[in-house]
Order: sequence, then C-alpha cells, then structure tokens
Amino acid sequence: MNEGVSAPGDELVADDTTHDTSTYDAPSAADFRHARTLPVEDGWYKRAVFYEVLVRAFADSNRDGFGDLPGLTDKLDYLAWLGVDCLWLPPFYDSPLRDGGYDIRDYRKVLGEFGTVEDFVEFVDQAHARGIRVITDLVMNHTSDQHFWFQESRRDPEGPYGDFYVWSDDDTRWPEARIIFVDTESSNWTYDSVRGQFYWHRFFSHQPDLNFDNPAVCEAMIDALRFWLDLGIDGFRLDAVPYLYERDGTNGENLPETHAFLRRVRKVVDDEYPGRVLLAEANQWPADVVEYFGDADAGGDECHMAFHFPLMPRIFMAVRRESRFPISEILAQTPAIPHNAQWGIFLRNHDELTLEMVTDDERDYMYAEYAKDPRMKANIGIRRRLAPLLDNDRNQLELFTALLLSLPGSPVLYYGDEIGMGDNIWLGDRDGVRSPMQWTPDRNAGFSTCDPGRLNLPVIMDPVYGYQAVNVEAQSNSTASLLHWNRRMIDIRKQHPAFALGSFHELGGSNSSVLAYVREHAGADGARDVVLCVNNMSRFPQPVELDLIAWKGEVPTELTGGVPFPAIGELPYLLTLPGHGFYWFAIHPAQER
Amino acid sequence: MPATSPDGAPPNPGDPLVGLHDDLLAWLPTQRWFPAKGREIAGLRTVAHTVVSTPGELPTVEHAVVGVSFTDGTGSAEERYQLVLGVAASPPGDVEYAVIGRRRTPDGGDEVVYDGLADGRISRLFLALITSDATRGTLHFVPEPGTEMPIVGPGRPLLGEQSNSSVIYGERAIMKLFRRATAGLNPDLELHRALGRQGSVEVAPLLGAVEGELDGEPMVVAMLQSYAANSADGWSMALTSVRDLLAEADLRPDEVGGDFAGEARRIGKTVGSVHRELAAALGSGPLDGDGAAEIEAWMLARLDHAAEATEGVREQRDAIAAVLRGVATAGPSTVQRIHGDLHLGQELRTPTGWLVIDFEGEPSKSLADRTRPDSPMRDVAAMLRSFDYAAFHQLSDWEQSADEADPQLERRAQEWADRNRSAFCDGYAEVTGTDPRDNPALLRAYELDKAVYEVLYETRNRPTWVSIPLRSMRRLLTDTGAARR
Repeated sequence: MNEGVSAPGDELVADDTTHDTSTYDAPSAADFRHARTLPVEDGWYKRAVFYEVLVRAFADSNRDGFGDLPGLTDKLDYLAWLGVDCLWLPPFYDSPLRDGGYDIRDYRKVLGEFGTVEDFVEFVDQAHARGIRVITDLVMNHTSDQHFWFQESRRDPEGPYGDFYVWSDDDTRWPEARIIFVDTESSNWTYDSVRGQFYWHRFFSHQPDLNFDNPAVCEAMIDALRFWLDLGIDGFRLDAVPYLYERDGTNGENLPETHAFLRRVRKVVDDEYPGRVLLAEANQWPADVVEYFGDADAGGDECHMAFHFPLMPRIFMAVRRESRFPISEILAQTPAIPHNAQWGIFLRNHDELTLEMVTDDERDYMYAEYAKDPRMKANIGIRRRLAPLLDNDRNQLELFTALLLSLPGSPVLYYGDEIGMGDNIWLGDRDGVRSPMQWTPDRNAGFSTCDPGRLNLPVIMDPVYGYQAVNVEAQSNSTASLLHWNRRMIDIRKQHPAFALGSFHELGGSNSSVLAYVREHAGADGARDVVLCVNNMSRFPQPVELDLIAWKGEVPTELTGGVPFPAIGELPYLLTLPGHGFYWFAIHPAQER
Repeated sequence: MPATSPDGAPPNPGDPLVGLHDDLLAWLPTQRWFPAKGREIAGLRTVAHTVVSTPGELPTVEHAVVGVSFTDGTGSAEERYQLVLGVAASPPGDVEYAVIGRRRTPDGGDEVVYDGLADGRISRLFLALITSDATRGTLHFVPEPGTEMPIVGPGRPLLGEQSNSSVIYGERAIMKLFRRATAGLNPDLELHRALGRQGSVEVAPLLGAVEGELDGEPMVVAMLQSYAANSADGWSMALTSVRDLLAEADLRPDEVGGDFAGEARRIGKTVGSVHRELAAALGSGPLDGDGAAEIEAWMLARLDHAAEATEGVREQRDAIAAVLRGVATAGPSTVQRIHGDLHLGQELRTPTGWLVIDFEGEPSKSLADRTRPDSPMRDVAAMLRSFDYAAFHQLSDWEQSADEADPQLERRAQEWADRNRSAFCDGYAEVTGTDPRDNPALLRAYELDKAVYEVLYETRNRPTWVSIPLRSMRRLLTDTGAARR
C-alpha cells in the first residue's frame, strides 16, 4: 500500500485521531487473558513446518471485507488437517497500512479491521489447543510516521521521545547506505517541516527508523516483545534486522551494535520465555546471515532461525537451466550453523521473489525467464505466486515443493500455494500475491459473505487460477489434488527426522541435471534415519548413476508408496527419472524391512 | 590367443612374471585402457619389476612394466604398460572380478594374481607410502611439498575410465595410474605441479606422485590429486543445453532456459587463467618466424596425411593449405606451454567453478611434441571446435534416421555454437586481455588444422560423426571470421 514519497506532515493534523498525544498509556499484558501455552520443547522450530498466513486475506468473520482474527481462528482445523506446525503472522498491529502493516502505529494494539487483542489471545489459545504454534512479525527497525513516538519526537525535540528517531540537520550523512525501495524512494533522508530536520529511513519515507543508540528505545522495544510473549505467542519473526544501527563510513548493515542488541533480546527470551523462538529476516549472503545466529560455541546466542534468501531464486534458476549447479553452488557457499540454529527456507512469501542476492547477470536472466510482463517486476524482484511462476505445471509444482521439504532448513509455506492459487499482477505494490484465500467456488471464494464490492482486495477470477477452479473445497474432495499431495508430503517429512535434523551431503553424479543428496540423522536413542532425495531439474527424462557405496547391501524404499527398490550393490546405483521427477527414499539395512 | 608367443621363442626364464604370461595375454585386451584391441600380439616381456610390499606384508604388491609386441609391424614395435599386481593365496571376495590368473610359488604352492587397484588394502598402501615419502626399489613415493594428505584409508576403483586407472579415496583424493609407460617427464604431472605452485584454483591440487625409472630415464607411475567431488563434465552439460534448444526449434539459444553462455564464459575465463599461470610458471616468448614455420610445416604434414586418407579433405587440400599458411603471416603471437588436448570433456564443473583436467596432451603425439611450447591459440581453437561438436552432435545422430537434416534445427545448432564460442572468447579475453578473435588468421588456421585431424579421426573411428568436422571445415574455408562476435 505504498503511496510513494509524500511527506508525512501532509496528513498529520487531519489524520492523527488515534491517540491523545499528551496522555497515551500503553496497555500491559496483565490487562488481558493469556493463551494456554504449549510445553517447552527443545528445538521444536528445527522440526516444524511453518505456514505464513495473512490475517487480512484468510477469512472474514464479520462481513467487512477484511480477513480477521476470528475468521482465522475458524480455519485452524483446516491448518491442523494440512499438518502445519507453526503459523507465521505478518503484522496485524494497528497501522495506517501504507506498507501492508509493516508500518506499525501501535505495538500493543491490533488493527481494528482484524479484531482486538482479546481476539488474538483467543486465536493463539485455539491454535495451541491443536498443537499449532504461532509466531508473529515484529518490526523493530522503524515505526509508522503516525506512531505516537514519532509524533512526539517531531513536536518536541527536548521531550521524552525527542531522541527516539534518527534526526539530522542535513541529508548527507551515511551515503554508503543503499536505498532499498529503489522504485519509490530517492533518498534515505526525508525532511520534516514540523521539527525542521531530516529523519533517517531505510525503507519508505513514512517509516522513520528508530534510534537504537537511545537506551530508552531498546527498553521500549523489549517491553513490546514481552507484551506479546506474555500473551502466549511462541516467538517472533524479526523484520529487517540488519539495519537497526547507523555508523559513519559503513553501509549501516550487519553492524556489531546490531548483533549486540540481538544478543540482549535473545537473553530476555532465554531467561524469561524459554522455548520461544526468534527468526531473523536478513536478506544477505549466507556468510553474513550466519552472524545472526550468534556465537557458534554457545550453540547460537542471537536468533534461533534466519531465512536463507539466496537459495530460493537459485532453485528457480536451476530448474530453468536444467542444471543442479545453481543450487549446489549456493549450498556449498553456505557455512555451517550453530547446533541450536536452523535455516528457514521458502519458495514464495508475501514479498516479491527477492533477487537482491543474485548477481546482475542472473537477475537479468530471472527477469527474462519469470517476469515477461514488466508489471511482474517490483523493486528488485518478481511479484508472482508459485503456481503462475511455474506456468501451473503440476510436475514442477511437485518438484519445487519436494525440494522445499527436503533441503536443509525448516520449510515455510505461503498461504494458498498449497492449492496452487494464482496472483493478480494488476494490483498495486505486492498486493498481487495477497489476494483472499480461495475456500469454495461460492461468492467471494468463501472468504467473506460481504458484498463483493466491499472486499479489501478482489478475489482471483481468471479462468485458470480463479476461485471457481482453484479452491480448498474442491481439492479436499479429490485425493489426487495438489492440496492432498502437499498434505501427504508434509506428513512424510514429519515421519523422518532426517529431513529436519539430518546432515546434508550432496552426491553429485555425472548427470548435471540431477540434484541428489542424502540427509542422515542419528536420534538420541541411536536410531539412524537416512533419506535419499533425487531431483530431476530437467523437463526431459534423465538417468543418473549414484555412488551409494557407503550403504552397500542396504535397500532404498520409496517414501510415497513404500516400494522397496533393488538393494545397493558394488556398482553405481542406476535410477531413471521422468521430466521434473523426484524420488524420496529411506535407506534401511535389508533385514529391517 | 597364442599360448606363449607366435614366433615360438620361449619366454625368458629369468622374467619375474614368467608363468603369468599366458594369463596376461588373455587379460590385457579385455582392459579398457589397452588401446591395441584387435592387433595381433606377438609376445610379452617384463621390462621392469619391483616388489612394493615388505616381506611378510599381505597381500604381496608388485609393480611391473610389461612390453607387448605386435605382429602387424605398424606403429611402435613394442607398447609398454604399467601394472600394479596383488598376489595372495586366496584374494578377498570383492576383488574376484579383477583376477588375472594363478602362478606357482617357488615352494611349489599356488597363488592368485589380480589387478591390485581393486584391493582397498593396496590402494591404502600406496597412499601411506606417498605420505611417508618412501622408496621401494626404483619407485619413489613423493608427497607434494606444502600440501596435507586429506585422508588415509582404502581407495575404491573408479569405473568406466578410458586410458588410465584411478582409485578414489573417500571423495577426498584420487590417484591415477598411468597405464601407458613412457620414459621422460609426464606433462600431466609436470603441469599440475607447476600450476599448483602458482596457486592455481583452476586445477585439482596435486598431492603427490609415484615416480620410477624406465630405460634409465625418469618415468611417472601415478599421480595423486584432490578429488573434485560433486562435479560434472562440460561435454555432458553442453549437450544438455543443446538438447533443450533443439526441443524448441522456434526459440533462439538466448531464449531457452538451458542457455549455456554463462558457463561458456566461465570456461573461457578458466582456460585464460590456466594459460596465464602456465606462462608465469614455465615462461613464454614471441612466436618468431622459425617457430611459425615449424608449426606450419607440422600442420601441412598432418593435412597431407589426412588428404591421403579422406576424400573430403583431399578435395579441399589446396584451399586448406592456404589457410594453414596463415600461421606465418598472422599478427604477433606468443608461444608457451599449453594444455594441448583441450575439449569440453576436459573441464569439470564443481560447485565452486570450473576445473581443467588431464594435461597429458594429444595422445597420438610423441612426448617431445606434447611438451613443445605452442601458441595458446591451439587450446582456444580446440575449445571452439568442441562447442561446434556439442552443437551438432545430436543433429548428426538424428540425421542417421532422417532423410535430410532439418534446416531449422541446423540453424539453431549453429546459433548455439556461435553464441557459446563467442561467450568463451569473451571470458578468455576478460582474463588474459587478449581476445582470440583479434588474430583471426591464426585462430582460423588452428581451427582448421583441428578440423582436418577430426575428419581423419572420425573417418577411421566414428564414420557417422564425420559430417560434424566436414561441415565446420567448409564453414572455415568460406567464412573469414573464425569466431563471430
């Protein structure tokens, strides 16, 4: 919902009806009921299948055209049936919604359209009742320009919030910091006519960066974290963590001060909320991202998880190139991570397919291949859903999902991709991939019973991806559907701890179109789990000879059907794969079968 | 197969492999690395023999060089091959496939002799001897200074190799036994050693070698290198790309997903780096008039040899000769040590980049010819030829069944070749500062020389492929720009 670079002062006077600026009193967690909590379970996040769900787009319970928390609560049985372990909710906080809610106006209030804090507590409670955990987005780097803190900061430089943001008399400092939203922003500084100074913002100009050099800001942020943790959530996805601090002569990313603050946050979580998790969003190269796990000797003392950004575009590139090397390369460049840490991996999410972590050559190539219409490009990325990106090819959808569920890391699914939903590239910014969940072939796709004109975003209606063709109800009734297939694969993944916890060893092989790897895990009870994954990146059938001599005499059993394949002998193991085909095998000693 | 030797001469009773000759004569022609298949063998003798194991150590390990002579009188009178033999009263079950034969022991017993590389204990012994800088008879086991042995353990024989035999140690190291025994410095070892000492990342690091003696000259027995795990060769990757293109036909090479130009450019950079490092390690100089005349004479001799044997070359002999003479009049160029037998199959894609392998040089040439400095354009031209081969290989297979080539597909294949040849030159120029296309006369001469050799080779060995070099030969004779930009 980006309206560009208009100065925040334009709407200040008329718009700020939310707070009485002189007497704002932040609510405390004690003011609310708390959700039941799930038992503390070490490393649950390393085994979990995550599911990103937009409250706004999932289900509307009160016919106002917006998805809401009670609507989401109603759909928990579906999510439990699908088999997901943890929901990730992008921001649902009070916000002017100029950046999809990543512009937070009040850290302790739920966006009116979504419901109330009480609705949120009920949602978490019901999720926990089904064994599903919940993590929420938290934007620490910046607030909305309508946040009480910012309004106070601009009005009264000497007041308690005067130093909450990064102010400067000119706009020349820190020229090394890149501009992230190059489509809309021309500078990281914007002039504020009320205070008569420039303020610093790494993202949109309506999102001023908080000043973490001010201890009061650190305290206020940690208190905001405590508020939600007290209510019962299982952790946070920390948005845009690399940018918390600014230092002269640096690009303002990944600074030591930022890591020090994250260690402080981690200590609060470990001391006061054991079992809760921190997931970092740091769109950086893996060698830089591992820093966000913190000290490896301590098992990691910053974030428990971090997204692996470069892997995702490489998966797309590998399949288009019919070569495993784009993936092999990035995995070979990925350093080891602390033993308590885990990558988060994904194919698509609410943002564009990010191409910041590919080279310029590769970016041109990705645009040419996947964004034939210029509207599909957004910032440095491509705003498409998985199914349209893959031309709705079921074989590729299955191959990509099989990779997501078997490469190292916890998979993060994006709502709607389990049924192969489409996108609407004619909607502004990234809304094209945030359209309402398609539940039924009925009015508004079963998302809402409101007047269709009232919908916050229109449902997808094209003949291929439209809700009458693609919806949960229809796919629930057919066991051959993509939805059922996804559910089965999630289930298989959960039966084999090696997928989640195992070591990763690429097997190579002379056929460069085939990506084959072994995941191996020894449980605490000594039980060994070995999984072999073989993926054909090519659209043509391929043979591959694999060196499986380490498992000589053992038997690979295909995991979707349980069919035992010939025992592994002295010679290279020959497999043939259909175009874009894949196999998952468990390797067992022969007598175990 | 003759029982002893067809001339009736009895084997030398002092020969340490006496009693095994018949078995060896039956076994050698079944080995992939034995090139003289089909030639009638006149006899066999042991040229060198060393016991590698210490007394009492099991199994007994012997190194031998055997000389094989032939009745047909063509080629060299005697070809020499290296063997590593395991000897045991009863070998372990998993080397049964490698058994050569049985022989009597001096005390009247019976022992089994087998190809030693199949036995993990023997490959482990070789590794241990290299690590400990050991000497056994005339064999020296030499670790490469400044490198660390990554692993100690049994090796596993690599299957499906052509001209040599290798064992792999736990995906960390690979030892190559040179099957053909040649006196003199082996360019594969020499250049790997020189490149390693330049800190080259374009070759698999050398870890050690086994060096021996033959006819009073040094001989390289085996070479130990880091193993390039998870790699694939450039030839099969290029074919994957061409296959993707030809399946579309209405799309250009830059429009299909399997575009190879990015890799071709990286290969160009890799080859350029290797050339730079070879020049830095072993020197380079200008290509002077005498040198050019020598190269030209060599090319013309090869041309006349090919013209005798193949009609396609004979018809064009004078036109080809005119282009080859361009070497003498071409612009300034340098000579240095080069790879000498470069093609897409000699390049390995690993997760970190491309490696160049196998610096033995063209197998048909003498050692002196293989180690003589030459223009780097020979390697470049060989790579350009290889892209042509990759482009048209699949079409030539299809043409066997179709009445005539589909001109649309042929055009696509040519576009693929042009695009990737050009990308290779871009990459090469980026690293060396010398764009091969800036010296078109020299490049064209080397390409044509290579194409002539290919026509001869295909006519003799793979007649169904001869259309590939013939097509290129025609193009090189009409097209004055060897590689289009």
